[in-house]
Amino acid sequence: MIEFRGVSKTYPGTEKPVVNDLSFEVPEGEVCVLVGPSGCGKTTSMRMVNRLIDPTQGEILIDGQSNTAMSGTQLRRKIGYAIQQIGLFPHRTIADNVATVPSLLEWDRGRIRERVDGLLDLVGLSPDDYRDRYPAELSGGQQQRVGVARAMAADPPIMLMDEPFGAVDPITRERLQDEFVKIQGDIKKTIVFVTHDIDEAIKMGDKIAILRQGGFLEQYDSPENILANPASEFVASFVGADRILKRLSLLRVREMELEPVNGDGGGLPAISGDLTVRDALSEMMGSGTERAVVERDGERRLITMSAIEELSQDRERPRG
Amino acid sequence: MGRMHLLQTYGPLIEWDWISENFVEDILPALQGHIFLSAASVAIALAISLPLGIFAARYPTAYAPVTFVTGLLYTIPSLAMFGILITVPGIGIGPRAVIVALVAYSLLVLIRNVVAGLDAVPPETVDAARGMGLTSRQILFSVELPLALPVIVAGIRIATVTIIGIATIGAYIAGGGLGKMIFDGINRGFPTMIITGAVLATALAIVADVSLLAVERRLRPWARTRRA
Repeated sequence: MIEFRGVSKTYPGTEKPVVNDLSFEVPEGEVCVLVGPSGCGKTTSMRMVNRLIDPTQGEILIDGQSNTAMSGTQLRRKIGYAIQQIGLFPHRTIADNVATVPSLLEWDRGRIRERVDGLLDLVGLSPDDYRDRYPAELSGGQQQRVGVARAMAADPPIMLMDEPFGAVDPITRERLQDEFVKIQGDIKKTIVFVTHDIDEAIKMGDKIAILRQGGFLEQYDSPENILANPASEFVASFVGADRILKRLSLLRVREMELEPVNGDGGGLPAISGDLTVRDALSEMMGSGTERAVVERDGERRLITMSAIEELSQDRERPRG
Repeated sequence: MGRMHLLQTYGPLIEWDWISENFVEDILPALQGHIFLSAASVAIALAISLPLGIFAARYPTAYAPVTFVTGLLYTIPSLAMFGILITVPGIGIGPRAVIVALVAYSLLVLIRNVVAGLDAVPPETVDAARGMGLTSRQILFSVELPLALPVIVAGIRIATVTIIGIATIGAYIAGGGLGKMIFDGINRGFPTMIITGAVLATALAIVADVSLLAVERRLRPWARTRRA
């Protein structure tokens, strides 16, 4: 668990703080996304967790202990770190890059090799093909995969990720996000994730912290609640006028409570249960139908426009 | 003009017999002496330039004064520099004065390249290194210097070639080396000696240049791209 306690940061020679009295908790195993426009202090906040930046006021606790309890370098070896510009070591092979922290921790060679190969597999790069290459030989997307693998190398319980999928094209980016959501489902790290993209925040976060210029925390809540009940004008405008649609994209059709089809439902278009409700809505509008059939566990159920409407007005719905 | 005329009247341009007779006794030691003068100067200059360059790269305000002073040294004509140095107590006439002068000439190029090499290290690479828990020392020795090394070697290459040339003049103040053969040849009106010294000095510069270039290339195995 990570806990911010009244954390502020003012750079010397300036009057206005970049992070202003920040207090919140990131529960164990959850992804907390810090999101906001540039100048909102999100990256500064993240970098204070592993003490790349020291706060002017307040403190950050990790599992109940102040993060100043050990030296900065010791602390950083226990916290995974991945950044948008990746920062792979150009003069070291992919395997050596991934092995950075395990080497610092003096793991034995066999263990390092095993770990590196396992991680390359995990991020979808075949170890035999990539182990001995240099970063310059890889595409941007592949380099970001290596960057994430390197951050996970010593199996740190906490990871800091600053727009880790920011430097690639939108299609690759979405794929990397999907893969990472899947990986995180297994590894359950406590993650502080920084982005300026609200859609990425909604997709990746268990909790979202929305920050405003000057480092003020506007709202800290689950994506559903932020979309359903924006705490301020700023949050409402930041999440966008399409927040109801965004909320529908958090839910899949197969997770909806739907009535069974009466009769054979013949003539109604079919919709896949794997679609998000938002995409289902889009398909139904596209085919000009009020009702469609969802095939689920061999059962046929009915999805209707009014069911979707009801869902979008249901303000306090817990996360599905 | 008179001297050139004299030279031509004393015999052929190259007497191969003289070369083979004096090869072991005179030519080889002169070549060795020259290599020693140059290598020692570059080594000492590097030992000064590395820490100074690292310092100037860390504290950019130090860069201007450092390059100003070393730039000033670089502009002093070599004969004037030798003249000044032999009057300095503790240096005096001989190889020591030559080495001091050669070191002084190398500093500017070497420091500049150390700084340029370190400045060219991508900041995100250093940030990632710090974020993963490398100490400042580890970052310097295992990230920054290895990445800067090709640029530093490029500086060593320029300094070495320059030094091999200037070292010949060092014979004027009894520094020894191939310059001595050239000066002796001029004094005796014996072109074989002049040409042998000159050709060897040039060859030495070329060999140093080519082999350091090869070192420079070998130091960036990562630059080969075989995009996936």
